[in-house]
Amino acid sequence: MAGAPPIPLDALRAGDPAALTALFEAFADRIYRLALGVLRDPAEAEDIVQETFVSAITHLDRFEGRSSLGTWLYRVAYNASLDRLRRRREEPLPADEPEDEAGEAIPLPRSLVEWTVTPEQRLADSEVSAELDRAIGELPERLRVVFLLRDIEELSTAETADALGLTEGAVKVRLHRARLALRERLSVYFSERAPQEGDVA
Amino acid sequence: MNCEELIRYLSDYIDRNLSDELQADAQAHLSTCRNCHVVLDTTQQTIFLYKETGRRGIPIERRADLFARLQRSLAERKDCSS
Repeated sequence: MAGAPPIPLDALRAGDPAALTALFEAFADRIYRLALGVLRDPAEAEDIVQETFVSAITHLDRFEGRSSLGTWLYRVAYNASLDRLRRRREEPLPADEPEDEAGEAIPLPRSLVEWTVTPEQRLADSEVSAELDRAIGELPERLRVVFLLRDIEELSTAETADALGLTEGAVKVRLHRARLALRERLSVYFSERAPQEGDVA
Repeated sequence: MNCEELIRYLSDYIDRNLSDELQADAQAHLSTCRNCHVVLDTTQQTIFLYKETGRRGIPIERRADLFARLQRSLAERKDCSS
């Protein structure tokens, strides 16, 4: 995983405070974003950060170095998040949507409007950022989490598959569906909204 | 390549996962099809927007508390095991 400094595992096992700090600094935000992406609740996402680190340090001997430490932590955090999601729902989980990995057709894009304002201009707009959050919140969890790891955290397809326990093919299909669904949703939003005063022509 | 195929390959095109031949076919289609070009462009903008805004971490005011909580749990765990 790009950007993560090496964590001294032996020192971590021995309870070295500097190693714990390094682990936290390297991975706490990533775990938090993943948990927030699944659970959509900041307090619960903090709980997951806590549980993930405690569990990882307790079971450090189970970390085989087959995948990167980061991917392993993502897997622990993702499973803990899913457990919470299941426990939270009083009603049973909705029946799974038809499996998209089996080659079901991808819906064709409907909105074909160009976006007239540049992304840089949109970034400065707090309403846009709220809309981005709503749009990703409305994606089914299984698409959202793949989009998050691939396009926001910039994990590779293989790392994402490893972290989520999916095949690489499933990661690709879900990523594709997530991108198109978000694009569709944002296209509607931007075309209804623009052009407005204050937007740069 | 037609529009339907282009859309099917769009993410692979963006991620540069296509064979040279398919990548060239996609490019040829995109240079003549305005609609598919719009879909490509707005999909790339979608990814860009999330990449730029989606990397907020633990709120700064919660960070120290969360780390302290982790240290406490680990200390308690050690107490139990000894």
